[in-house]
Amino acid sequence: MTGGFEIKEEIWIEKYRPFKLEDIVGQKETTERLISYVKSGNLPHLLFSGPPGVGKTATAVSIARELFGDGWRENFTELNASDERGIDVVRTKIKNFAKTSPIGGADFKIIFLDEADALTSDAQSALRRTMERYTSNCRFILSCNYSSKIIEPIQSRCAVYRFRHLTEDSVAERCRHIAEKEGLSIADDGMEALKYVAQGDMRKAINALQAAALFDKTIHRDAIYRITATAHPEEIMELLKTALSGNFVLARKKLDTLMLEKGLSGEDVVGQIYRAIFDMDVSGQRMVDLMDMIGEVDFRLTEGANERIQLDALLAHFALTKEQ
Amino acid sequence: MEESIEWVEKYRPKSLSDLVGNKKSIVDMREWAESWLSGVPEKRAVILHGPAGVGKTSAAHALAKDFDWETIELNASDQRTAGAIERVAGSAAKMSSLTGTSTKRLIILDEADNMHGNADRGGARAVGSIIKTTDQPIVLIANDLYGLTPSIRSSCIELKFNSVQGRSMIPALKKICVEEKIMCGVGVLEKLADNAGGDMRSAVKDLQAVALGRDEIYIEDIATSERDTKESIFKALGKIFKSTDPKSALQATYGLDETPENLIHWIDENLPLQYGTQEGTEEDLITGYRHLSKADRYLGRVRKRQSYRLWRYAGVLMTCGTVVSKSHVSRGFTKYQPPSFWRKMGQLRSKRDMRDNIASRIGDHCNESMRYSRTDLAHLYGRMLKDDAYAVDVAVNLDLNVDEMVYLTGGKKVTKGIQKINDLAQAQRSTYGNDDAPVFFEKKAVKKVQDKKQMDLNQIMQSAASNGNSKAEETSKTVNSAPKDDPKPDQKPAAKAKPQRTLFDF
Ligand SMILES: Nc1ncnc2c1ncn2[C@@H]1O[C@H](COP(=O)(O)OP(=O)(O)OP(=O)(O)O)[C@@H](O)[C@H]1O
Ligand SMILES: [Mg+2]
Repeated sequence: MTGGFEIKEEIWIEKYRPFKLEDIVGQKETTERLISYVKSGNLPHLLFSGPPGVGKTATAVSIARELFGDGWRENFTELNASDERGIDVVRTKIKNFAKTSPIGGADFKIIFLDEADALTSDAQSALRRTMERYTSNCRFILSCNYSSKIIEPIQSRCAVYRFRHLTEDSVAERCRHIAEKEGLSIADDGMEALKYVAQGDMRKAINALQAAALFDKTIHRDAIYRITATAHPEEIMELLKTALSGNFVLARKKLDTLMLEKGLSGEDVVGQIYRAIFDMDVSGQRMVDLMDMIGEVDFRLTEGANERIQLDALLAHFALTKEQ
Repeated sequence: MEESIEWVEKYRPKSLSDLVGNKKSIVDMREWAESWLSGVPEKRAVILHGPAGVGKTSAAHALAKDFDWETIELNASDQRTAGAIERVAGSAAKMSSLTGTSTKRLIILDEADNMHGNADRGGARAVGSIIKTTDQPIVLIANDLYGLTPSIRSSCIELKFNSVQGRSMIPALKKICVEEKIMCGVGVLEKLADNAGGDMRSAVKDLQAVALGRDEIYIEDIATSERDTKESIFKALGKIFKSTDPKSALQATYGLDETPENLIHWIDENLPLQYGTQEGTEEDLITGYRHLSKADRYLGRVRKRQSYRLWRYAGVLMTCGTVVSKSHVSRGFTKYQPPSFWRKMGQLRSKRDMRDNIASRIGDHCNESMRYSRTDLAHLYGRMLKDDAYAVDVAVNLDLNVDEMVYLTGGKKVTKGIQKINDLAQAQRSTYGNDDAPVFFEKKAVKKVQDKKQMDLNQIMQSAASNGNSKAEETSKTVNSAPKDDPKPDQKPAAKAKPQRTLFDF
């Protein structure tokens, strides 16, 4: 058992998972308010909405830890709604949790329903009276990507908090904090790379940081990009410019390098091209057209088409269609 | 430490006179209840319907309290099969006849528009027949009146609960503040009431959410974050329709709490109001829709394959695409409209639910896909229903109720002919084992639960089960459902019939 625990500790996203609300970065307004709930010892039902990897689960766990102290696990139940999404689960398992009294003198327990938007609307309806009738026993915290997927009556029962995309600054702040604790230094270009690969998801940044730290105590961009199988943004830009200038053959050579030497998948390349388009010097109309083309290729990839052929076709399109 | 309780429950109205707003419906409801004191009234049930958090559930319980009636509640957190509903109704009847005739037992069917096609199979039908025969008052509660079948609706008094006006919320909120010893700055309660958008529960909940951990609240303390979604969507629409910078338009949509599925409806609703309204800009509308249609294609792909990655292209095409479609920026101010068509579409939902539900039963009956049944077989069954030689068999085999027969035959209302088929089908069903068979309780079990004022449903279920009556449900199922070797007739059909809802969840 202890062995398992140590292994867990070695993974930084676990080791540096915030235990306290005040440690959660990038959601200041929300956490401030939640801290005052915790101080008062009471809580309304909560609905957290926002993109993945921005701290919704960490926040729910922190609330439980701060409210209940060491024995928090006894009064905190996490259910992933995407695994258990049927109406039966809500009517049996969840209702039974809600009914039973909290343990060890706590005033109430917390049921955390992760990915609540994966519940069908019927299953959500089945929560309604349960949330009302057992409020002396328990509070619900629901998390979802978009609150519009949660039916109106449930929204009406919850205080809704919107979690924002993490800014690059928040990502940098947390990485710096970890680097300090681990005795690392992050070079400027390393930090840029961390922000780029994170795309607002803290988990990605921390994982990349940990992997890079295995090679070198100073974090440079090359390590970050290599580990995450990401092309340098400039390389992608080069690729696109070459294609747009009409030189298909050269563009394809660059593409081969990315895929063969850097180990990028077709999906990776498309994802990076998608991001690069916004930084290119093309008219709005052209940008929208190119986007549609990229999307088409991406769709075909999801359908299992051949990456090399689809990407070649994309480059050809870039090279040979001109702006009308 | 404060008491850890939710104010919305602590301040739930105890008596009808505590309820804010909806005076007319409350008066009508009281009158209906009074009519029960002198026998069984013509309409034995009422439907309270309206948006979330306006006092429907509270009103039902408050009514019981005012009349000193006991209550039995059945809501969406309970399984509501035909058997379950009959047991509840049966027990209400039995028990009140034991306690004497004067006091009633109010049956509250909350969330009645959320009967689950599958887990609650036959529930809606059972409700339909019980509200015609009950000797105890029944209150049905629903958000969406269209979620109830026309035949249920026609045997009930419909009482609409409207959004509560902000102005009338304020005294109630004030009372809570006094009770909780909270000092309120100027305009605080007005703002809370205003933000709630007619949802009284929201107002109370928001009040607690700001007041927690404070003794004084000021207008700055009110986090608008939760109710500002409208505002931010208008801002994003502004960027989309009025700016020439596609990137900033896209960025404005990132913070929105709206899926691309919803956002496209907003753009679709407003595009013709914004583009092509002036001479020489007609092209803008066409180009705009060309992009929207492309965006929609990606949404469809995501729906079909769950590859959410493709949502980003839908996002770009609908926002940036709309931005670049304009040939000039119109300065005039046009108010943005919320997507009305999709709301109406949502109301059609129940009709489609019925259609798909019938189709899946037909599919089961002849081992075909639901889709094929819907497009190719449904009308054949409709024809058979019109033919005296087959009608009753079809009705029995497909387990059709009158509304479904009306639908299948393409009629508009319940005709004498359909009524007759239904009666014959009922008769045939009951010779085999019967949906409507009353459930009897042994006296002992009855006494035990009787002590409790608010009956626990599980107790009823258990006492019924221990009396060996739960079998009634199973027998009736096997007879009513399609006579083929599907071992779980209850699970498959409705799962297939489950319509895709997310689109219409406004
Ligand atoms: N008309 C009202 N007057 C006073 N309080 C109200 C009123 N409506 C709602 N509330 C407050 O909101 C809470 C919830 O109300 P209620 O359960 O009756 O809503 P509902 O109409 O059943 O909503 P839903 O459709 O979401 O179930 C009540 O406990 C009370 O605190
Ligand atoms: Mg209710």
